[in-house]
Amino acid sequence: MGGGIRARIATSVRAAVRRIAGANSLAGRAVAPQPVPTLKAVRSAIGHYGLAAVAVAIALGASLLLQRHRLQFPAFLFELALVSWYLGVGPAILAVVLSSLAFNYYFTEPLYTFYVNSTDLAYYIVFILFSLLLTWFSGIRRRFERDLLQSRDDLRKEVAVRTEQASLLNLTHDTIFVRDMGDVITYWNRGAQELYGWTPEEAIGKDSHQLLQTQFPVSLAEVRAELLRASRWEGELQKTKADGSRVVVASRWSLRRDESGQPVAILETNNDVTDRKRREEEVRKLNDELAKRSAELESSNKELEAFAYSISHDLRAPLRHMVGYTELLQKHASSALDEKSQRYMMTILDSSKRMGNLIDDLLSFSRIARVETRQTTVSLDQLVKEVREEMQPETGGRKIAWKIGALPDLHGDRSMLRLALVNLISNAVKFTRKRPQAEIEIGCLEKRNDGVTVFVKDNGVGFDMRYVNKLFGVFQRLHRADAFEGTGIGLATVERIIHRHGGKVWAEALVDGGATFFFSMPGRGR
Amino acid sequence: MNIVETLGRILMVEDDPKDVELTLTALEEYNLTNEVVVARDGEEALDYLYCRGSFKMRTNDNPAVLLLDLKLPKIDGLEVLKTIKADESLKMIPVVVLTSSREERDMVQSYKLGVNAYVVKPVDFHEFVNAIKELGVFWAIINEPPPGSIKRKQV
Repeated sequence: MGGGIRARIATSVRAAVRRIAGANSLAGRAVAPQPVPTLKAVRSAIGHYGLAAVAVAIALGASLLLQRHRLQFPAFLFELALVSWYLGVGPAILAVVLSSLAFNYYFTEPLYTFYVNSTDLAYYIVFILFSLLLTWFSGIRRRFERDLLQSRDDLRKEVAVRTEQASLLNLTHDTIFVRDMGDVITYWNRGAQELYGWTPEEAIGKDSHQLLQTQFPVSLAEVRAELLRASRWEGELQKTKADGSRVVVASRWSLRRDESGQPVAILETNNDVTDRKRREEEVRKLNDELAKRSAELESSNKELEAFAYSISHDLRAPLRHMVGYTELLQKHASSALDEKSQRYMMTILDSSKRMGNLIDDLLSFSRIARVETRQTTVSLDQLVKEVREEMQPETGGRKIAWKIGALPDLHGDRSMLRLALVNLISNAVKFTRKRPQAEIEIGCLEKRNDGVTVFVKDNGVGFDMRYVNKLFGVFQRLHRADAFEGTGIGLATVERIIHRHGGKVWAEALVDGGATFFFSMPGRGR
Repeated sequence: MNIVETLGRILMVEDDPKDVELTLTALEEYNLTNEVVVARDGEEALDYLYCRGSFKMRTNDNPAVLLLDLKLPKIDGLEVLKTIKADESLKMIPVVVLTSSREERDMVQSYKLGVNAYVVKPVDFHEFVNAIKELGVFWAIINEPPPGSIKRKQV
C-alpha cells in the first residue's frame, strides 16, 4: 500500500470517526437511546444531507463574493466534488440539485429567476453528467476504502491472535515444535530450546530426526502410518540434546491437515521423563531387592521352622530315653549302688530335666517369632488372676503380699501376652524367695496418648543396673544357677513378645533392693 | 480300679526301639504287654491293618486302639492317620497320636484328620509311665471299642 493512500485512508477514517462521534453526541442529547443502530444511521444520514446543503450555501456565498472574478462555476464544481467524495451519493444528488438551482437563480440570465433558456440547457446537462460521474467515482472509492479498512482490521485481529498464541506456546514449559511433512522444523518454542539447547534460529529448517537423533521404539514407517491413520501418535522416544546427553521424552504427535484434507504439518510436544524413568527404574530395582530379601527371609524362616520342628521331635526323644533308662537303672540296681553312684544318677536326672526345660523354653521362644499373632482385646486384670492361680503350687507355702492396681485392657495375642506375664510374675516370685515377706505389685502407669505402661514390681534381690543391657538377652543370667534356677530365656521371651506387639520393655533395680519391670504397649488402654 | 473282663489289642506304631521298650515297661503293670503289636514304620502299620505283607495270615479283626508316632520312616504318622480315617473299614479304630512334638501344626493337622487323642510324650519318666499307663488302661480296658475289634478274655 502506497504512503499517500495510507495517509488518505487515515484522514478519512479520522473524519468518519469524528462524524460518528458528533452524531452520537447529538443523539445522546436529543432522544433516549432506545433503537440505537437505526436511529443513529438515520441521524447520520440527515446530518450528511444537512452538510451537503451547507456546502452548497458556502459555495453560493463564495461565488457571490467572488462574482467579478467569474469563479462561480469552479466553486460549485469544487463543492460538488467535496460533497460526493465525503458524504456519499444521496447528499451529492441533493447538492447537484441545489447547486443547479442556485446557479440558475443567481448567475444565469435572466438573473433571480429559475428560467432556463435553450442555450443554457446543454450547459446544465454537462454539469449534471459531470456531477454524476464524480459521484460514481467517489462511490467506488468509498467501497474500496471500506473493504480496505475491513481487511486491515481483520489482519490486525489475526496478527493479534497469532501473536498471542505464539507467546502462549512460548510460555509453556513443554517442548513444542512443528515440522512439515518432510520433517523439517518450522516452529520451535522456548520449551524446546530449554530442553534440547538449540535456539529457534538454529533449529528451524533442520531435519528434526537428524537434529535430535531420535530413536523410535518401533520403526518410523509404523509411526507415520499410525499418524496418518489416526491423525495422532504418542509414545516414548529417546532423543539427544545439543550437549550430547540423552533424554527420554513422552512424545505426542498431532497431524495438521489443510482444507482439502492433505497432511501439511506435524505438531510434536515432548515431556522430559528421564528423571521419572530413572526413578521408576530405581523403584523397580528396590522392589526386586525387596522381593529377593523377603524370599531370603522366607527361606530362612522356613529353615528356622524346620529346625524347631526337628528339635521338637528329635531332641526330646534321646532325652526321654536318658531319663527313662536312668530311672529304670535306679529301680533295678539301687540296692547295689553306693551313695556316690546314687548322687551321680540324681545329677544325670537333674541335668536331663534341665535340658528338657531348656528345649521347651527355646521352642516357645522361637515360636513367638514363627507364629502369627491373633489380635484380640485382652483383659490384663483377668490374665493376672489366671497366672496367679496357675502359680499357686509355687506360691502356696509362702508369704506374699500381692498389690494389684487397676489394669487396662490390651490389644494383642492373648496366649503370647499370657506367656509374657507368666515370665514376669514367676520371676518376681522366684527372686523374692529369700524374703520373709515378699511384696509383688502389678499396676499401670498413668495413661498417656502413645499407649499404656504396665509394671511388675518386687522387693526381691534385684540386680546391678550395670548389667541391665544383658538382662533381656537369650541365655543371659545375672544370678548363679545354684542361687536361682532358670534357663535365661524368660526375659528374652518377654521382650520378643512385647516387640511383636510394637511395645518396649525395660527394667529398674537395685542390688538387694527389688526390681521393677515395665512394658509399654501402643494404642489406648481402656 | 474295676478291671473289666476283656482286653483290647493295642497296635503301637513306633520306630524307636527304646521308646518301644519304655512304653512296654509302662504297660507291664496292667499286664497289657501281650496285647501290644508293634509296627516299626508307617508301611508296616498299614500292612497290619490291611492284613498284607508279614501280616497276611492274621485274623481280620481291628485293634482296639492305635498308638501312633508322627515321625516315622517311609510313611509318616499323619499319612497313616489320613489313610485310616479315609477308609470305611478302618475309620472307626480309635487313633491316639503319641509324639514328642508339641508343635501346633502337628496338633492342628492331626485333629483335622480326625485323631481321637493327642498325647505329648513327657520327658520326665514318671510322667511318661503314668501317661502310657493311663492311655493303656483307658483305651484297652475302660473304653468300649467299636464292633469288630480284637478282644480276649482277661486271665
